[in-house]
Amino acid sequence: MIELRRLTKRHGHVTAVGDLSFDVRPGVVTGFLGPNGAGKTTTMRAILGLDAPTSGTATIRGRRYADLPVPMREVGALLDARAVHPRRSVFDHLLCLAQSNGIARSRVDEVLGLVGLVQAAGRRAGGLSLGMGQRLGLAAALLGDPAVLILDEPVNGLDPEGIVWIRTLMRDLAAEGRTVLVSSHLMSETALTADRLVIIGRGRLLADTGLEAFMRSHARESVLVRTPDAEELAHRLRDAGATVRPGAEGALAVTGMESAAIGKVAMVHGVVLHELTPHRTSLEEAYMELTRDSMEFGASEGGGR
Amino acid sequence: MTASAAGVLRSEWTKFRTIRATGCTLAGAFVIALCYGYLFGTANGRAYLGDSPAEQTSFDPLDTAFRGLALVQLLVGAVGVLAVTSEYASGMMPTSVTAVPRRGRLLAGKAAVVAVLLLPCGTLIALGSFVVSQAMLTAQGAPGAALTDPGVPGAIAGAGLYLTLIALYGVAMGFLLRRTAGAIALGSFLLILPAMSSLLPESLARAMLTYWPTSAGMRLFAEAPIPDALPPHAGLAVLAVTVLALLSAAFALFRSRDV
Repeated sequence: MIELRRLTKRHGHVTAVGDLSFDVRPGVVTGFLGPNGAGKTTTMRAILGLDAPTSGTATIRGRRYADLPVPMREVGALLDARAVHPRRSVFDHLLCLAQSNGIARSRVDEVLGLVGLVQAAGRRAGGLSLGMGQRLGLAAALLGDPAVLILDEPVNGLDPEGIVWIRTLMRDLAAEGRTVLVSSHLMSETALTADRLVIIGRGRLLADTGLEAFMRSHARESVLVRTPDAEELAHRLRDAGATVRPGAEGALAVTGMESAAIGKVAMVHGVVLHELTPHRTSLEEAYMELTRDSMEFGASEGGGR
Repeated sequence: MTASAAGVLRSEWTKFRTIRATGCTLAGAFVIALCYGYLFGTANGRAYLGDSPAEQTSFDPLDTAFRGLALVQLLVGAVGVLAVTSEYASGMMPTSVTAVPRRGRLLAGKAAVVAVLLLPCGTLIALGSFVVSQAMLTAQGAPGAALTDPGVPGAIAGAGLYLTLIALYGVAMGFLLRRTAGAIALGSFLLILPAMSSLLPESLARAMLTYWPTSAGMRLFAEAPIPDALPPHAGLAVLAVTVLALLSAAFALFRSRDV
């Protein structure tokens, strides 16, 4: 369980994160979404005590990260896969982290097996590919068998096989009752793993909701209508209570009325129809619209990391 | 299983021994100490032979023994700097701070590993410098001191302690400046500043040779550079308090800064 209360982080006059409050619950994967520069990394760094909040708090089960007696046993974090000493071996990197938290050496071998890096144990951490680096970062996060996982863009650089692997891993970890917070700037990727969504833009909270609920409230049904008599039909449809916006190439985008009813209106008023296509906005489109709006309203606030 | 101080120490030792740069710098310091012992021993032995009988009577072989340490200390300071800045330079520091969020404990662990390592290694460097330089003195026909001579074991131990404090000074500079080049450049400049005292007005030069932490600390193993220099224990205190103050400043900054 991660709790954020009015978390604010300013860098000089730039507000990276402003007044952010949300909870991350155990047992589900929570997707942490926002465009690049929305403040996702800053938020995660604040949770981990790397950045001191300007105001507000970020706690893990009621305690600040720095106050956890054995932090790696409670929270596993992957922020930046390149945050390793490039000349240290994969094994030694994990060993020094394990030792700092009193974790047995045998656990290093275990996590190497878990992420598929046994063969690379003796290689220099700096010589790994981006994908293997991500696996090393995940191994470090899993060292303490933590109840809370905080992963910043973990699919970055992974090959398709690796992406499927990490998706499964995150779902399994959540299914074991762990709290999993995973950031991404792609809705399409997040929708495949997350049950809950926390969306931020310009450091502000835009949505904190379930994936299904988000779909219901943001994804609109619309109907694409093509007719030689667009002006007449638009007028008649509005009279009947629909919302009509001009679509591409002279077509009409109609919301608030189903295609059958639109066809009926057209027939009653003798309007010829060339096309009548129901269209559901995708999650990605709904997300884009949500974050685009936030950028317009928040443009003067400045962005952060 | 706890994130105990002992665990942090073990972890910091693993970090230290798995990075080649720090170990190589330390080994380099030892080799350079031997080389300087050889060079100063040879040169001062030859000079002795050309001296007048009066000068020969006042010849102190210990003067030659640790002459090289004034330069070796730059490498020893660099060992302390690298133990810290290698983490900043590589980007490892956020990972380290995430593993050990109690930053005072992290800083103390690093300092402790450096101190525990340098105490024997620094003494070994001083011993090597002593043995080689005295062997070269006697080889030239000048008198050399033996390890068992009065004051010699104390001077060697004192030099070891001095080098340990210099390495800790490097740790503090590493945390304060975070960049390898900056910390080593400024750190070295401050270490050898007394060598430029002859450029200063006399009163200032005297004060610097007496109270500048490195001049004061060198009283642990070197002859007084000026008649009213501090006694060895006072010299040690000046150096130790300075290093402690710098480590405290480093801790204050490390704790308050975003990593």
